[in-house]
Amino acid sequence: MTHGHLTPAAREHQEISALLPWYINGSIDEHDRQRLDAHLALCAGCREELAQEQRIYEGMTADTAVEYMPAASLKRLQARLDGVAAASPDPRSDVGTQELAAGQKPGGRPLAWPGLMAASVAVMAVALSLLAADRWIQFRAHAAVPDYYTVTTSIPRPQGEVIRAVFSPTITLVELQAVLDEAQLRIISGPTEAGVYSLAANSGRPVSASLASLRRDEKVRFAEITQSSSGPGDIQ
Amino acid sequence: MTVTAKISSREHDNDLLVAVAAGNRQALEELYLSYHRRLARFLSRFTPRYENIEEIINDTFMVVWQSAKDFRYASQVSTWIIGIAYRTALKSLRRQKNHAAARSLDEYPEQTIDPTFETEVQDWLKHGLNRLPVEQRLTLELAYHMGHSLEEIAAITECPVGTVKARMFHAREKLRQYLPTLGGGTSELSARSE
Repeated sequence: MTHGHLTPAAREHQEISALLPWYINGSIDEHDRQRLDAHLALCAGCREELAQEQRIYEGMTADTAVEYMPAASLKRLQARLDGVAAASPDPRSDVGTQELAAGQKPGGRPLAWPGLMAASVAVMAVALSLLAADRWIQFRAHAAVPDYYTVTTSIPRPQGEVIRAVFSPTITLVELQAVLDEAQLRIISGPTEAGVYSLAANSGRPVSASLASLRRDEKVRFAEITQSSSGPGDIQ
Repeated sequence: MTVTAKISSREHDNDLLVAVAAGNRQALEELYLSYHRRLARFLSRFTPRYENIEEIINDTFMVVWQSAKDFRYASQVSTWIIGIAYRTALKSLRRQKNHAAARSLDEYPEQTIDPTFETEVQDWLKHGLNRLPVEQRLTLELAYHMGHSLEEIAAITECPVGTVKARMFHAREKLRQYLPTLGGGTSELSARSE
């Protein structure tokens, strides 16, 4: 797209052609619109190009069959906002967003990725808490257990739990998934108020091997086999 | 949309953003609902996966929530929001190495249909668009589907106007070569299907 060595007429065609998309979408300014109107009235080649371009425009503006429903997405956004609000007294003061919201604040601070990461972990924790709370309510309703425990009653464990673990607060979702994949485990509930996750086995691998895998990872602060998970080959 | 409706919509967006800046969650939700459809459509050019689209939209509105108080109203609210979505999407793509989440040609079956039918122009167009580099594809999308002006696209993509023109020029050139029904020439696809 260069103007080098062009005749004035060729340059005029090129400039007109470059403006066609905005002539078609109606956002061109009045001066340029009049210029294009005048040129198109006399130039069959540019009119043909306009017609071709018009078909691309119509193809792109045609409604797609896919309709996105925003309600579920909005719920997830609300949960994130709640999470950030819970994690910070002023939810809009400590998360680095200048880079993405660029152009609005001259001399903005560099992006605070650690803050963003911490917020995302907090959001993840809240989301998992909500999931855990939901499952916990279902579990309790199903099991019809009393609403209290004594020192002699054992605390109900989520079904399938083999290991309880606490992860570093700085762990990202991707890292967490990698740790779980490596250990062949999945989260079935958590985190609790103390940040404890209940993990279930994803394969027939001995639980002790999964435990060892977790304990090798520096992002895992604590990991223990739960009593109910002992089985053949597992080291207690 | 008429000029009056556009102005009214802009004013409404401004009012909503002022409320968002003051911490009004309801205003954010209203803004979210009014932008979700067009952002989803726009972002579907980045990635076909709805979960990625949703994540980018929600990340965008987290930024809107956190940065509304810094917005100076030098540009339109829509330009600002779509610009955030654009940059969030590019970041997301870079995170997923080599645009792995972007549409790949393998996801689309080879065309065997008669390209002369009007109803199939969109299929050809989809193929053609997916052959374009992401910046060119999105420049077309911003202009043709979303109706943004040259200057607005420059603001959204944070590029000089000349860069936007060049991207549009190359995108249109490639599409014309690719789309026989639109360009009139022998395209790669038509040559292949013969």
